[in-house]
Amino acid sequence: MSNNHDHSHEEHAEITHDEKPGYYEILEISIREILIEKQLIKAEEIRKQIEVLDSRSPVLGSKLVAKAWLDDAFRERLLADGNSAAEEMGITIYDDTAFTVLEDTETLHHMIVCTLCSCYPRAVLGLPPDWYKSKEYRIRAVHEPRAVLKEFGTVIPNSVQIQINDSTANQRYMVLPLRPKGSENFTIDQLEAIVTRDAMIGVALISL
Amino acid sequence: MNVVDHDPPIHQEGKKVRVSLKFPIGHYRVPTYIRGKEVRIEKNLGRYINPEEEAFGKNAGSKLWYYLVSIPQKQLWKDYNGADEDLLEIEVFEPWLESI
Amino acid sequence: MSSENLVKRLPNDIAGTVCSDKINIVERSLYPWEKRCHALLDVLDYHKIVNTEEKRRGTESIGTEMAAKLSYYEKWIVSASNVLLQKGLISPNDIANKTKEVSDRYGVTL
Repeated sequence: MSNNHDHSHEEHAEITHDEKPGYYEILEISIREILIEKQLIKAEEIRKQIEVLDSRSPVLGSKLVAKAWLDDAFRERLLADGNSAAEEMGITIYDDTAFTVLEDTETLHHMIVCTLCSCYPRAVLGLPPDWYKSKEYRIRAVHEPRAVLKEFGTVIPNSVQIQINDSTANQRYMVLPLRPKGSENFTIDQLEAIVTRDAMIGVALISL
Repeated sequence: MNVVDHDPPIHQEGKKVRVSLKFPIGHYRVPTYIRGKEVRIEKNLGRYINPEEEAFGKNAGSKLWYYLVSIPQKQLWKDYNGADEDLLEIEVFEPWLESI
Repeated sequence: MSSENLVKRLPNDIAGTVCSDKINIVERSLYPWEKRCHALLDVLDYHKIVNTEEKRRGTESIGTEMAAKLSYYEKWIVSASNVLLQKGLISPNDIANKTKEVSDRYGVTL
């Protein structure tokens, strides 16, 4: 599912009342209306699912990370069963996937990719960035993770093991990044604020 | 009471297996880069509908075991540039894993 | 290059192939139709009308040219259309008639 097409982004500006839909938007509207007319789906279901999508963002992931940093017992539960731990925090994994958290240590750095498509823990982090879905990331991340990390400005010394997980089945991975030095006295709000989406994918480290 | 599993998993954690070198048509979830490689069973991930059949409309029925497997990057790629300990992990369904 | 590789190797099965291009570290928020498309496929998966694996197969079976030229969500809606057609849940004429109705509604020529 590479995001590789020639035309400029101006052609894809947000559709307002005055602008005309392109072919694929017409197809999307048409398929949706056909399915509603055939009573296979309801318009309300689409509306509700858009609300669900809008409710998921890296803010949720950062809450799990901050709590795991502060609460050892919660961290254990999060690593043992991500779905249940997320549920504890009011985050329902709505898509029948196994939310799996991978813990970084001083000697182990995790990185996530879906080389075949774009599997991503959407229920916790929201929608993935375009680069995650790009052919360049999907081709290169498994083959040369350290070079890819450098392009993100992240340098991992060879003394630290890199483990890259390619999502091909039902697991949806999120990295539990290393808590940065200097954050020892941070409140939970301060800790949540320093957790970045890119650190939860594993292409960035958290620093103060 | 001991429950008999009439469909037990074939592979155990720690075991070395080989990812089959075979070529389905239509749909698959085993990338070419891992086929034919020797990997280690890291974890039994349970059972799930076979994605190759799910892709053609099968939504229920017997499920297959699938596993988290690992391989050192330096064994996976001839030209790997990184630490000797660097690892790749990937999920693979049982029909793709051969005992060696 | 032998054509059999086009049959044996799906267009998304690209990891580890030759690529010297840098990661284009960009992202944008979804256009409204893309978000509706995402929600549509989620609803179709929930009802198992088009499950997620069928959608994936649908984005693969369009072949390498379309896989390269269509954007992420363009592939999703074409995939959903094809899977629905294959299952006999909608017909080619349903699509022809409705896309004409919708394009007329917006004053667009297909």
